Amino acid sequence: MPMSQVNKVNCKIGGPAGSGVATMGALFAKCLQQCGLYVVGTNDYPSLIKGGHNTYKIRAAPFPITAIVGQYDLLLALDKLTVQLHASELSEGGAIIYDSNKIKDAAAIAARSDIHLVGMPLTQMAAAAGGEIMFNSVALGAAMGLMQMDFDIIRTMMQKIWARKGQKVVDANIAAALAGHQASKSALQQQFKVKIEFIKRPKTVFMNGNEASVAGAIKAGCKFVAEYPMSPSSSILHLMAGHEWDYGIIVKQTEDEIAAANMICGAAFAGVRAMTATSGGGFSLMVEALGLMGISETPCVIFESQRCGPSTGLPTYTEQADLQFVLHASQGEFPRVVIAPGDPLECFVEAINAFNIAEMVQTPVIVLLDKFLSETSLTLENLQSIPVKIIRGKLQSDEEMQKASSFKRYQFTPDGISPRCIPGQQNGLHVCSSYEHDETGYTSEAPDMRVAMINKRAKKLEAIPQELIAPSFHGAGENEADVLAVCWGSTKMPMLEALKLLAEEGKKVRAMHIRYASPFPSKAVAGALSSFKKSIIFEGNSEAQMRSLIFEKTGHFIQKAYLRYDGRPFKPEEIASAIKREFYG
Amino acid sequence: MASVSDFNSPHNITWCPGCGDFGILVALKGAFAKLGLSPHNVVVVSGIGCGGKIPHFIRTYGFEGIHGRALPAATGIHLANHELTVVAIGGDGDGCGIGLGHFMHAMRRNLDITYIIQDNEIYGLTVGQASPTTKKGVITKSTPHGTPEDPINPPLVALAAGATFVARGFSGDIPHLTDLIAKGIAHRGVAFIDVFQPCVTWRKDLPYELYQKKIYKLEEVGHDPSDWQAAVKRAIETERWPIGIFYQVQKPIYTDQIPFIKDKPLVKHDISNIDISKYLEEFM
Ligand SMILES: Cc1ncc(C[n+]2csc(CCOP(=O)(O)OP(=O)(O)O)c2C)c(N)n1
Ligand SMILES: [Mg+2]
Repeated sequence: MPMSQVNKVNCKIGGPAGSGVATMGALFAKCLQQCGLYVVGTNDYPSLIKGGHNTYKIRAAPFPITAIVGQYDLLLALDKLTVQLHASELSEGGAIIYDSNKIKDAAAIAARSDIHLVGMPLTQMAAAAGGEIMFNSVALGAAMGLMQMDFDIIRTMMQKIWARKGQKVVDANIAAALAGHQASKSALQQQFKVKIEFIKRPKTVFMNGNEASVAGAIKAGCKFVAEYPMSPSSSILHLMAGHEWDYGIIVKQTEDEIAAANMICGAAFAGVRAMTATSGGGFSLMVEALGLMGISETPCVIFESQRCGPSTGLPTYTEQADLQFVLHASQGEFPRVVIAPGDPLECFVEAINAFNIAEMVQTPVIVLLDKFLSETSLTLENLQSIPVKIIRGKLQSDEEMQKASSFKRYQFTPDGISPRCIPGQQNGLHVCSSYEHDETGYTSEAPDMRVAMINKRAKKLEAIPQELIAPSFHGAGENEADVLAVCWGSTKMPMLEALKLLAEEGKKVRAMHIRYASPFPSKAVAGALSSFKKSIIFEGNSEAQMRSLIFEKTGHFIQKAYLRYDGRPFKPEEIASAIKREFYG
Repeated sequence: MASVSDFNSPHNITWCPGCGDFGILVALKGAFAKLGLSPHNVVVVSGIGCGGKIPHFIRTYGFEGIHGRALPAATGIHLANHELTVVAIGGDGDGCGIGLGHFMHAMRRNLDITYIIQDNEIYGLTVGQASPTTKKGVITKSTPHGTPEDPINPPLVALAAGATFVARGFSGDIPHLTDLIAKGIAHRGVAFIDVFQPCVTWRKDLPYELYQKKIYKLEEVGHDPSDWQAAVKRAIETERWPIGIFYQVQKPIYTDQIPFIKDKPLVKHDISNIDISKYLEEFM
């Protein structure tokens, strides 16, 4: 019997679209988190078959984790295909839970003698509890039973998550899960290798990038959301709409992304914190309005969750290929801020920063997410203890405006940032214009005014503190490391796990994660690159777009780039072996 | 209380002498004064075009956005602060060409804003191409053999889209237009006003005299503005051109459905320390 494995587990749930794979996965993950564990949860759609096969992957551990590493210990097969596709991914001593009435030949399909086949009449048991559709609840109960998890955990979680659906639904699902939990006790001759023991820890949350971005936006005082649905950003619209009344946020589903971008520009001009969210296709439609925000110096926040392009591309797959697009989108030159958070926690923090920076420098801020980050959940601790300041920059109060005389909305100032007033305030009448203008906002095509205005706007980004935009460093210390591995955005999550794998093998690798693409932390990045002879960049695109940006901003060209653009996120093992191959081979 | 002169902008007006936009400007200022509005509580929102320059020529807050997008911007401004008076205004190209989608959606939303189309049946600023309201067969720079399509009928679009106030005015009849705009602004809900606006440069074939000959006033022929079907009939007339209120009805407005802005507009909500524990609770 394999060694017992306490509080560490990898699970995969697979089934046809519509069988509740993602719902069950999230529920399972939250139950593990309730036991005091750190959890990663992410959904995945394997490419090897056509249509409709969904999976949800979970990893739990007693220490902070950011990505799934290693083989699976438990497979919840909600259909036969799941056994076919994923049995080979199980570790020795792992288990498959499946419906023994529906899959009679599981042993033959799995073709493995080193795993447990935990067959139960899932559907039949669900029917006895109140309805066949709850067969997935039975499977979940069984999975928890196998790992000796207290049934109360799942009972409480189901009660909480499904309370909206009515007590009947909750009770029936609890009964179904209980049946699975009890049946699992007699399902194995010996004990299952994984055991989950309760650890008492302060409450944590389990959030994906979109959920954490919304948390940050609400905390930052976002009051207006205009959005047109597009995967993988749509859950931002749903979450905001769901909390519209709780938090006093007007959430407007618009006729298109052009309307969304122009609406938030109007709302921001009128003085509220406003945002939209979209993916690359929708962002394409927002591009003209982005320039309007730039020239009119209107603080707007745009979340862009990348998926595979160009055009409709691969709608549910991930990519990091919009970096150069968002950096350069729209005609002419104007300052913009582009932030690419690396994990859900950074989504929360950077969403707040985005709204503050937008008002501080009066320019559009783009938060660049991707499908992988938008839909990967991690355990987040102590969000509430992160200090949050609401910085409204040079927005004038009503009292200040009452005293104002000869107010100039686009006044030249040493930092390029002008005082800002909003409609309804006295003594501040001006036109917020898409045309080039003078200090009052009146159209001007005079050559010297043009140059002065371009320079004024460009200067504003300097007001953003360097500490805020600095890259983060991980892994081996600056002086001991042999290699610098560079990444940006969501690649941080697998990178951090890769560093652990490398450290276990005694390889001293340091990682630099770049969050701010604009303004670019040139000094810090150049400094790091010049102190390493060996460096490599990992990016989810085919053109090494961040490498180009680094070269443009620092003159350093990172010779080696490991690029992935098949729609799938990096795996920690893959990053680690690429580094070993390149530098330790 | 403000007078017309309080709305006078210090800037030189750059429209062609005789442009119909002058009449619209005078009427707009007159309507603001008539309603006793204060300049700082008014936002004039435009797109791009000759007519789109109007925010600079009137002393209120202004938003001169991008071509065709006045209505989304106006919607954002209105929802951020529904205590402001928001008037969106733009050309026929702006509203019926590039911005037609927004036009229809703004009408069906019944936002409490006013939308004016400066309808000169031409793209003025881009020096004279056919617009979506240019009638079939008209020769313009882009249609040397005559426009091949039937025009869009803006009041009919507004009626079809569910607007609760639909009117047409004539920039050559300033008192009538002033009254129409004032009524539109006072209307609780979205008000749409299409304004015949002669373009003396690119549409010499559509002079003031022709409008004067063709138009008649709806209020003088006993038209019942509460009758939607009668409004549609009037809107599709081609021989004579009705001006006045086609249709007006009271319906709940968009912001009536937003409980949390009943007491104070969104912009006045305190954002200094928002408690997100309720949101976080869902993810525990
Ligand atoms: C996206 C975009 N396309 C084209 C233009 C060029 N353009 C400016 S105004 C205009 C049309 C103007 O016609 P209309 O809206 O009827 O206004 P008018 O000048 O007649 O008052 C066009 C095509 C632009 N500014 N933006
Ligand atoms: Mg026109």
